[in-house]
Amino acid sequence: MSSSTLNSSTQDSENGVSHRSEAPSRRPPAAMLALSVLVGVVFMGPFGYVVSRNLDLGTDLGSLLLSQSTWDPLRRSLRLGFAVSASTAVIGTSLAWLTIRTDLVGRRIWRILAPLPLVFPSFVGATALIAGFATGGLVEDLVSPLGITDLPDMKGFRGSWLVLTLFTYPYVYLPVAARMASLPPSLEESARLLGRKPLAVFSTVVLPQVWSAVLAGTMLVFLYTISDFGAVSLLGYSTLAEQIYADQLFDQARSMGLALILGVTALCVVTVERALERRRARVEVTRSQDPLIVPLKGWGIPVLIAVAAFIGNALIGPVAVLGFWAWRGLTADIDSVGLGIDFGALVEPALHTAEVGLITALAAIAVVLPIAWLTGRYRSRVAGAANSMVVAGFALPGVVIALSLVFWAIDAPIIGRWYQTLPLLIVAYILHFGAQASRAAHVAVEAVPDAYSDAAATLGASRSRRFLTVELPLMAPGLLAGAGLVMLSTMKELPATLLLAPIGFDTLATEVWGAGERGALAQGAVASLALVAVSSVLTWAVVLRRFDVH
Amino acid sequence: MSNCGYIPGMKKLSSPAVILVSLLGLALFATACGDGDGSDGSITLYSGRNEELIQPLVDDFIDSTGINVDVRYGDSAELALLIQTEGDNTPADLFISQSPGALGLLAGEGRLATLGNDLTSLVDEGFAAGDGTWVGLTGRVRVIVYNSDLVDEADLPSSVLDLVEPEYAGRVGVAPANGSFQDFVTAMRNELGDDATRDWLVGMAQNNSPNYPKNSPIVEAVGRGEIPMGLVNHYYNLRAVEADPSVASENHFLPVDDIGSLVIVTAGAVLSTSESSESAESLLRFLLSDHAQTTFAEQTQEYPLVAGIAPPANLPSLDGYAAQTIDYDLLGDGLLGTINLIRESGIEQ
Repeated sequence: MSSSTLNSSTQDSENGVSHRSEAPSRRPPAAMLALSVLVGVVFMGPFGYVVSRNLDLGTDLGSLLLSQSTWDPLRRSLRLGFAVSASTAVIGTSLAWLTIRTDLVGRRIWRILAPLPLVFPSFVGATALIAGFATGGLVEDLVSPLGITDLPDMKGFRGSWLVLTLFTYPYVYLPVAARMASLPPSLEESARLLGRKPLAVFSTVVLPQVWSAVLAGTMLVFLYTISDFGAVSLLGYSTLAEQIYADQLFDQARSMGLALILGVTALCVVTVERALERRRARVEVTRSQDPLIVPLKGWGIPVLIAVAAFIGNALIGPVAVLGFWAWRGLTADIDSVGLGIDFGALVEPALHTAEVGLITALAAIAVVLPIAWLTGRYRSRVAGAANSMVVAGFALPGVVIALSLVFWAIDAPIIGRWYQTLPLLIVAYILHFGAQASRAAHVAVEAVPDAYSDAAATLGASRSRRFLTVELPLMAPGLLAGAGLVMLSTMKELPATLLLAPIGFDTLATEVWGAGERGALAQGAVASLALVAVSSVLTWAVVLRRFDVH
Repeated sequence: MSNCGYIPGMKKLSSPAVILVSLLGLALFATACGDGDGSDGSITLYSGRNEELIQPLVDDFIDSTGINVDVRYGDSAELALLIQTEGDNTPADLFISQSPGALGLLAGEGRLATLGNDLTSLVDEGFAAGDGTWVGLTGRVRVIVYNSDLVDEADLPSSVLDLVEPEYAGRVGVAPANGSFQDFVTAMRNELGDDATRDWLVGMAQNNSPNYPKNSPIVEAVGRGEIPMGLVNHYYNLRAVEADPSVASENHFLPVDDIGSLVIVTAGAVLSTSESSESAESLLRFLLSDHAQTTFAEQTQEYPLVAGIAPPANLPSLDGYAAQTIDYDLLGDGLLGTINLIRESGIEQ
């Protein structure tokens, strides 16, 4: 089963690019096509809501588009989006390679730690960064005895770029690591036998094979960045998303007009990315028993220091700040005024958090898999359009997604009865985070070789049996990486949870928010730490165990 | 290959997947059984105020009346948007907001019922909507929070209007996108007119007043010494000092007749679509009872609005402020004008 001969077809002698040879008789199954159309229509909900609100409010889109006060935030959104995309693409890919394909010291620990920064709500990350680095902050307290007083200014673009890079690189790391864990070692082996250095092997052999996963992850980073409100508002960088929030109540026409502009921008970027992606080679995976491990040799120590420094900043830094607040809360006498710590109050929210995280992750994969299957195996244009809706929806701010579900569901027959119950909350999560599952599923589907399934078909295995026993296991690492992303995002989700959860259904994210609102830093810190703990356990259990192929 | 039994990973995949699918099914059907529609002695409250503060009072209300209350906690602005989007089918019977602006929006769309006079007359005239659509529950005073290590108390201004002077350039933190700041600007328009308000905003903009998203980050920045002063509501700093008594931030109360010491109310309203408006009103009445008003004063150090209840310890009395009545009706429709003034002034950086 670990045969590496199957993948030799991925390299074409002429241009290094090969596409699946598609027999003209291959037609997508009608049921699957219908399912994809249905999913696509549901995912159009948020866009439909935004368009409908713009019509209702009579937004003057023309003058909005001509206004400098629209272009400035749009320019800032794009600038931040591209900058964070670039840095996370480099960092996420490097970390994946180092933790999966090299003999980096402690790589099993790094593998568990690396995806976790995604679980910090961006406002928590930004608050921790401000508490750490701002004038009079904790870092200044630490280093001022050493004579260092001039810390870099973390406001504006620089701080937003840093926070979002530190907390979103897992969007790249997880899919790329999943891909690397299932890559055949033969090409790398050949390259090494021919005397290439590890770095050269990485750039000429590994990178081309993981490129679609890098692109997929970077796309998610871009969309997340342009939709983020928490970090940019705290750090004073006025993007389109920040303006949408600021105007949401009292200038709804402008807010909804800007949301439309944000959504259309996202659709454009997604379309361009799809065009790029369609022209790339497919790289098929095998379930290799023996992936290649590259010795870092003399680079081992410096690389270890770099990895430790980066993950330290992304994970241990915020955890340290949170730990400091928690410790201060435990030692100070502030219980009397509702500012103290109540561990008992976190048990039920922790269970709810795990519940919605797991259910949404699984459901999101199930929902997007037909679309990914059709676009990957059949190059279906209908499914491709549905996929664009799924992915671009990620760029809309969470509160817009939540309100769109209210808009469509509250008066609807049958569905209306499920309003503000768990099933519709899960639907809201999937609407928001389906993109993460979709991109990962897409990469996973593209990588499944025909050969196995064809062989099984020849031997008389039914379609569903082939899917369950041959293709699904091959896609598992990629799908689970997507599930992991959805799970981490869902566990920290706030606006939809506040508006659409059943009454009394608290999660750790709502606890963090509630504590922050009443100025109870200590309880907020403990709830954040609980969120990190629950996330680590689940991420390991659901996703990371499976990367450990040796 | 024929039975594909050797695919690695397959065995690992199946068991958690089965568990997850069962969990999904269970959760979906457990919660699908809808709850009542509120007409059976149970009411639904959307609260923009914190659970820690409201829930104990709601529990007291349930104990004393037997009326069940389901509370959805959230951000005031987002809950207002939720009610607006839910329209006639909103499950909410009443709404408590951090600021009157969000209520003004809903009142303007006919979403709020007119409260009984017995309810609105419990507070001073300026602290309820002129049309009776909402009633104030507590008051927060606008103050200047300052860092006592960086600013001498004697050098503090006696009017918020002085802050446009060059000596305050770059030194006063503001939150132009925050509801409280917007309410304050609306009150200034009401009191001094649009031209004077515009001049003040432009002056603050020319002073490059540092921007923050809301009150608490300003208080934290002042506490750290990042900025010497900031414009906020009074109780944020009281909370910050309780959490960390060593912090150097202090409140400076402006004279009662200065526009800078506006009282901003938190307020409650009953929705016009409520089928249990009597129960909903009785909850609002309960929140204006001596017991609840005293709790507000003690727990969050907000000002009680019902006459005869002592203000929070160590805080100036609200007596003088009562004279300064603001036409809160302006806060609903008037807020778009306020936002445009703020945007055009360039104070947002």
